[in-house]
Amino acid sequence: MSNNTFGIRMEDLQALVAEGLSGGGDWCDLFFEYSAYTSLMLRDGIVSSGGSHEDYGCGIRVLKGEKTGYAYAESTDMKALRKAARAAAGIAGGGSGAACGTPHRVECPNRLYPAGTDWREFESAAAIPWLQRIESEIRRRESRTLKVIASFSCDMSEVLMFNSLGELTEDLRPMGSLAVTAIFSNGKKVINNNASRSYRAGAEMLGDAVVQDLADEVVRGIDEAFEARRPKGGKMSVVMGAGASGILLHEAMGHAFEADFNRKGQSVFSGRMGQKICRSGINIVDDACLPFNRGACNFDDEGVPGQKTYMVTDGVLTSFLHDRISAKYYGVAPTGNGRRESFRYNPIPRMRATYMENGSDGSVEDLIASVRKGIFVDRFSNGQVKIGEGDFTFFVKSGRLIEDGRLTAPVSDINIIGNGPKALADIRAVASDLKIDESQWTCGKEQSAPVSCGIPSVLVENLTVGGGQ
Amino acid sequence: MISIEDKALLRWCIEKILSQGADAARVTLNRSVEELVATLDGEVDKVTRCEDSSLSLEVFVEGKFGSFSTNRTQRESLERFIRKAVAMARTMEPDPLRHLPERGRKAADALTGLEAGLYDTAQEDVTPAQRVENALKAAAWGRYGAAEGMTVLSEEGEYSDSCNDNLVMDSEGLECCHTETSFDYGVEITVADAGGRKYSGYAWDSSSRRDGLDAAACGRRALERACARKDSAALPGGKYTMVVDSEVAGKLVTPLLSALSGYSLQQGNSFLDGSLGQQVFAEGMTLVDLPREKGLQGAKYFDSEGVATRNLPIIENGKVKLYFLNTYMAGKMGMEPTIEGATKVKMMPWPQSGPEQARDRAALLRRCRSGILVTDFNGGNCNPATGDFSYGIEGFLFEDGELVRPVDGMLITGNMKTLWQHFFAAADDARRCLSKLIPTLAFSSVDFSGE
Repeated sequence: MSNNTFGIRMEDLQALVAEGLSGGGDWCDLFFEYSAYTSLMLRDGIVSSGGSHEDYGCGIRVLKGEKTGYAYAESTDMKALRKAARAAAGIAGGGSGAACGTPHRVECPNRLYPAGTDWREFESAAAIPWLQRIESEIRRRESRTLKVIASFSCDMSEVLMFNSLGELTEDLRPMGSLAVTAIFSNGKKVINNNASRSYRAGAEMLGDAVVQDLADEVVRGIDEAFEARRPKGGKMSVVMGAGASGILLHEAMGHAFEADFNRKGQSVFSGRMGQKICRSGINIVDDACLPFNRGACNFDDEGVPGQKTYMVTDGVLTSFLHDRISAKYYGVAPTGNGRRESFRYNPIPRMRATYMENGSDGSVEDLIASVRKGIFVDRFSNGQVKIGEGDFTFFVKSGRLIEDGRLTAPVSDINIIGNGPKALADIRAVASDLKIDESQWTCGKEQSAPVSCGIPSVLVENLTVGGGQ
Repeated sequence: MISIEDKALLRWCIEKILSQGADAARVTLNRSVEELVATLDGEVDKVTRCEDSSLSLEVFVEGKFGSFSTNRTQRESLERFIRKAVAMARTMEPDPLRHLPERGRKAADALTGLEAGLYDTAQEDVTPAQRVENALKAAAWGRYGAAEGMTVLSEEGEYSDSCNDNLVMDSEGLECCHTETSFDYGVEITVADAGGRKYSGYAWDSSSRRDGLDAAACGRRALERACARKDSAALPGGKYTMVVDSEVAGKLVTPLLSALSGYSLQQGNSFLDGSLGQQVFAEGMTLVDLPREKGLQGAKYFDSEGVATRNLPIIENGKVKLYFLNTYMAGKMGMEPTIEGATKVKMMPWPQSGPEQARDRAALLRRCRSGILVTDFNGGNCNPATGDFSYGIEGFLFEDGELVRPVDGMLITGNMKTLWQHFFAAADDARRCLSKLIPTLAFSSVDFSGE
């Protein structure tokens, strides 16, 4: 093993796997994790709160078919670990278990986030000037700024995984994030705006470029936001701007493509593998291999190398997102989507960076020009989906009405609702301006997981837009 | 349960923090044990054991402040962690408003953790076999059939029992304990109609006492709810009377509580800025906080600063009576501190007597005659600065007080202040196990977007 953070020897790993399999299990894996997190917050012009948080432990999982036994210890003391292994072993219910394979290291095929400056060596006080700079840049750009809250966080997780195939994998996972919320007032109305950037990168992410980028984004569209109104609600065409509109894919399709929901027959896409589900030319991927991206994974949390997975190829459903359980169930290779929030959780299929590849229907202006009555949306705050029904929603922070092919009045604070398969089938045009959004997206399916999303501008028909009557 | 050793560890931490030159410190120990059995289609699918322990340190040094946490509670590693924590706190910018609460505000009556009456010793006696039995006997799979023309595709259930300990101590002698057990069961069932369209239904129950958990009815209830969704569709958009079921009505109260928080108010990011003492909502709206109702799940005698909680009105007859101000936010706003947040809010029934009083959902539907009953929300948000909201909903159209057909794919849109001005009735059917005791509510003239 390349590090001794966990004070564990190879023979200890083998012994723990043997303990886990002793109840008749056919798979056992160990997930050691040490995570150190630091945060700072600027409020009212001063950085007067900050802190650090560390989390250390090991999760032990035993599988018997598709059934899971899971326990963890907040220590790597062998007594505590053996107790956890025995608790997890209880799922199997007796009989002879599998044997542990010959230990061997799985080398990392992609080094997607080699940290230039390790967060563990970073003095947090060095981030304070960057937070102050964000505030001054916002105030310099926009005199109507009332308040600015800016925050910085960095995290470094050391992970060691070992399983009953004898596979040993290690990963060092950096994450750095900056986020800002600004309140603006024109004397009559108060509005807020926010922006964030998050990368699997070291301290080199801090710099003038990211500060300018955040300041630009948080003041963008302020005039329109003061004027924004609720549109008249109802069904209409929606042009979704490139980038953050990828939330459509995450909520409307991505979750329904996660294989656990399909294995259990719950997903609206269960049983539709190989079927045409949207127009030809549309490709939707979930990608672990975007360097420094918030959703990048050298390995997933089951030790499977990160990879790019085509869920929809030329309009046809070609793959679900698998962990080891669902991959075995479907008789396919795992896709590297077995992820978990921490050692406290068993892995489940999760997205990474989910996006649609470029289309060939021109530019966003072409898409807007083709709509007689609808809305254009480009900023979002959250989304949700009901897996069985396929009904999804996402909340739009800002956008504009489209009238006779032109952008007109600004709109804000509207929820949009649709149905996943229907919305996919209702994608009428895809532009060629793919953008991966670099905001601090976090998916909340049972556990929190960092993800990202992206999309070229798309035109979707027949979405229901909330509004006055 | 909190032990003498736990208290000794926290005292040791405080001494170590002070020995590094800190002026004051607050230390919190959170510990929990949870055992969980999940089922899939009537069989055990997952068994999990969780045992957590974490220490949080809040350090006040030279007018500066930092907050830190670790789950490595061995003294050797803690000593290293404390040294680094105090050093990091020193790098913050000075802020004279960062200090411990005044002594007189702190709780002095939560010394054993049992005061709130939420600890059931029976949790220690539950055996692994009983957990499996509890999980399986609550399932509907193989015991109840779906409605005619419907097929059950999947049933996922989860039984768990847990014990949570919380100990807060500070360098001025504060000592507060809270221990709470919880017994929980939840189940989600997915069904399909003859055409393959899927619907899901969810039901759950929770109690701080083992004999208070009513899991047995959950599977059947979830199945009925899923089947009741058959052929759900959007209605034409328009203004409707809206009745919101007690199981989900808390969603409409959450933005009010956020807007009354000092963190929002001080930043000018609250649509209730300047509302203290003002008549903002409908006259019959009364919302209270009941942290000191002994035995009421979620009750707690102190907040995270160790400040004693009190039963207080938040909104009384439509007037705002309380801002949630912790020590820091009160200092920032130049106001007297209150409490950092709501613990266990309750919406009082309205009207409380007379012929228009409606005890439960059925009575409220009869009173309203026609409109849309909302049984679940699907996403959405509320802008904290303006109160403008938009939420996805599903539920039922009702006419003459009776459910007519299921609706989905619709949105409600409006402003929180206006919505609560249009609030005209509350039943008396809040479930005690919910984090907020909000009964079924009725609102007039709500904008629904649909077909």
